[in-house]
Amino acid sequence: MSKRPSSPTDRPFRDAFRSFSGRVRRRLALERMLSGAAIGLVLGAGAAAAAWQTRHGALRPWMAAGGALGAVAGAIVARRKRWRDEEVALYLDGRLGGKESISTAIELDREDERDDPARAVVLSQATTVLEKANPKDARPRFVRAYHLAIPLGLAAIGYVSLLPLPALPPPPLPPPGAEQVKLADIKGLDKIIDLANTNARDDAQRKRLDKLAEDAKKLREKLRDGMEKREAQAEIGKLKDAITAERLSLGDGEQRQGLESALGKLAENPDLKDAAKALGDRDLVSFDDAMENLANKLEKEDRERAKKTLEEAAEAARKQNAPDVAKALEEQKKRLEEMAKKNEKLKELGKALGEGLSEDAKEALKDLDSGKGGSKEQQKLAEKLEEALGKLTPEERKRLAENMKKRAAEMNGEEAPGEGPSKEQMQELAEELESEEGQKRLAEELKKMAEPEPEGEGSEEGERQKRLEEAQKGAGEAEGQLGGAPMPVPVPGQGNKPGNKAGEKPGGNNGTPGSGGKDEGQPYAGHSEGGGPGDHKGQTGVVDGPGVKSRASGPINKGKPMPGLVMGRTSGRAGDTANIQGTGALGQAAAGELGAIERSDVPEEYREQVGRYFQPK
Amino acid sequence: MTTTGDFQKRLDRAREASARLKDAIGQVIVGQGEVVEQALWGLVAGGHVLLEGAPGLGKTLLVRTIASCLDLKFSRIQFTPDLMPSDVTGTNILVTSADGSRHFALHKGPIFGQVVLADEINRATPKTQSSLLEAMQEHGCTIGGVRHAMEEPFFVLATENPIEMEGTYPLPEAQLDRFLLKVIVPSPTEDEMTEILARTTGQPKDAPPRVLDRDEVLAIRSACRDVAVAEPIMRFASRLVRASDPATQGAPDLVRRAIRYGAGVRGAQSLVLAAKAVSVLEGRAHVSFGDVQRVAKPVLRHRLIRSFEGEADGITTDQVVDALVESVPARPENVEQAIRR
Repeated sequence: MSKRPSSPTDRPFRDAFRSFSGRVRRRLALERMLSGAAIGLVLGAGAAAAAWQTRHGALRPWMAAGGALGAVAGAIVARRKRWRDEEVALYLDGRLGGKESISTAIELDREDERDDPARAVVLSQATTVLEKANPKDARPRFVRAYHLAIPLGLAAIGYVSLLPLPALPPPPLPPPGAEQVKLADIKGLDKIIDLANTNARDDAQRKRLDKLAEDAKKLREKLRDGMEKREAQAEIGKLKDAITAERLSLGDGEQRQGLESALGKLAENPDLKDAAKALGDRDLVSFDDAMENLANKLEKEDRERAKKTLEEAAEAARKQNAPDVAKALEEQKKRLEEMAKKNEKLKELGKALGEGLSEDAKEALKDLDSGKGGSKEQQKLAEKLEEALGKLTPEERKRLAENMKKRAAEMNGEEAPGEGPSKEQMQELAEELESEEGQKRLAEELKKMAEPEPEGEGSEEGERQKRLEEAQKGAGEAEGQLGGAPMPVPVPGQGNKPGNKAGEKPGGNNGTPGSGGKDEGQPYAGHSEGGGPGDHKGQTGVVDGPGVKSRASGPINKGKPMPGLVMGRTSGRAGDTANIQGTGALGQAAAGELGAIERSDVPEEYREQVGRYFQPK
Repeated sequence: MTTTGDFQKRLDRAREASARLKDAIGQVIVGQGEVVEQALWGLVAGGHVLLEGAPGLGKTLLVRTIASCLDLKFSRIQFTPDLMPSDVTGTNILVTSADGSRHFALHKGPIFGQVVLADEINRATPKTQSSLLEAMQEHGCTIGGVRHAMEEPFFVLATENPIEMEGTYPLPEAQLDRFLLKVIVPSPTEDEMTEILARTTGQPKDAPPRVLDRDEVLAIRSACRDVAVAEPIMRFASRLVRASDPATQGAPDLVRRAIRYGAGVRGAQSLVLAAKAVSVLEGRAHVSFGDVQRVAKPVLRHRLIRSFEGEADGITTDQVVDALVESVPARPENVEQAIRR
């Protein structure tokens, strides 16, 4: 209310109003303070409960201060929302039944309303209302039902303050694979480290192999000191990927076109179908086997044609700037020549000895002669020939040598191609039989031939692939040692040996002689191929190509998984990317993808076009 | 500067005069206390009153009685379809003076009374009805290009019959708006009816005495204008009127549904004026929320134009005004809550 000189009629009203309005405002302020305290104590009780929950025991009693803070806040709010005189007057009119005389009087009490004719009457009527009123009737109630929260809040804070603190929560479980592993000896990694001693195709491969070996060494050291299991699994996964990429590196990238050209040439010769398939799969071990088979099987004329095809394929690869492929093919051609030569030599010696041979040797000679025999028959014949030669008397040997010389002389270079050894071979054999030193040399040679094919006798590329295969197995073993089952890795050409080879190859991959009759190569679990009539437990059925209507009638590679397929992997690590082409694990997988066409269900006659379509730029 | 005594005396005299007037009317009119009260609000506030009721409820008698009790010039216009505006306002006629000269002289119509009874106003054509507009609003009448002022106090009391619609012309909104109040005349109760029979079936009685002269009426009207109105009460009247407009935000649902056009500024003015009249008749120098609420129905009922939906649903404007009074708070919410606690 504004201060101004008052008339006799103003004073009683003003005094009466001031008295009433003061009481009203005080009680309203008190109500707000109590409300604030109630809210503060409820929040305080909640905070005390939170402090109890989080084991901040000492803080709990202090939460009662929330009540005081709330009361202060309430006082501030009350001050800000203090009722104006007009509001108090309306309130008093409502409570005292003043019919708005007090509200009107408040307005008329202003200086500028002094001349209003009703002013004096209204002030008088309002004063009368105020004077007659019982002050108790005008008091606003300041206690509200929710103010009960004050004692309840205090009680709650007191109770929570006295409660014993809750037990410590159990520590969070470590993420899977976060446990530390410490292994003193990981034999599988040694096989990867051994890659450092493997012949490399070129300097780039040398560096890659050295890096693989170095990484394996570092991993071994880390495992000796102890590291997280998931990290170790990720490292091994990376090594496996790198080895897979390395196995598929022949004819990779820029040499891809050369490889395709060579494959095209090889495909022109039906005898080289298996070889072409093996090269397409970048499986040089199978390529070696195919060459060995051809050396035993083919007649001279066919062999010459095969050699020519190999030459042409190598030339085509070279022209297309694929020297590695060309080199591998030339090597295979050389191997074919050598193996064929050895074969002829054995057969001629066997024929010369004639009846001096045992029944087994005769059988093996018969098989070899008919082209059915393989390396096993060759070994057997060599063994028997050595025995037979040892039993010969010097005269008999002399006679044998002369006979052979005669036969060589009779040949005069007119022998039909594909019918036995050449004249030079015969002469060489006769000379060996004549001298004692030659005989010794021949015996040694036969002894060597009778032994199973030692390591390092295959092509250079095939040997390298064998070492890489060993390294990959080693990685799987290392994974197994870490506590997880080694995950199968799709291997090009693995288990793809035809079933009719059962018993011809040494069983397994450890070089021990096979028991015969069964291919003991262990199929990978979950793979549809295991090779021949092996134990097929746990395998999915082989896809019956012609039965599937949607497929072309051309030859297909049965159900081989895509080489880039990730069949099991440890969790990713920081830095690995899955979305940037050519980087991280994706980059390593990309190398494997390059041979995908040859191993997929694309009909043979379309592979070249499809491969060209997907050729990386 | 006026003193308490001056205005208080004027108020006391007004209250005493209105009491005398009520007594005098009561000698003729049986019951109808609220109708008489509302008619007096119109007289005190200086507004015009429209009485609506079925035939035979004493509307015309009430007006005649009020006129008899006031020492004022009374005139009556019986509205019929063939009534012309000049029949209401009057016209210039050619007269021959004693010396034989001729000139036009104004022959004033019945509108030039002080208490004018416009009986069955809705029976005349809108053209004739509109002849009342100038007189009612501006207290003047223009005839032949010359404006003639009405003699104060000027008070129009019109009646209309809501039942007979045949051959009637409902009052246009502009005309209705000129009436301060629209008073509904109800049927008498059994006791009242008995009393009416007793009074009216015997020998005719003398006319009621004249209890108020012109100056007294003007003094009461002046006192009414001097009554103080606090700002919250004027705001309340404004809110009430604004809420009667369906386009206003916060208007009650019933208003939105049943009303096409709400009251205007004249409606708000009428609310305050009528409320002032109420307070004068009660001897108060100020208006209360209750006064505004009390006059809301007679002031607003003829100012609300119902929508088709409202008419189809049979919602009356009285129901709408009740809804308005109920939904529009008189005091601020915080004050209202504190009072209720």
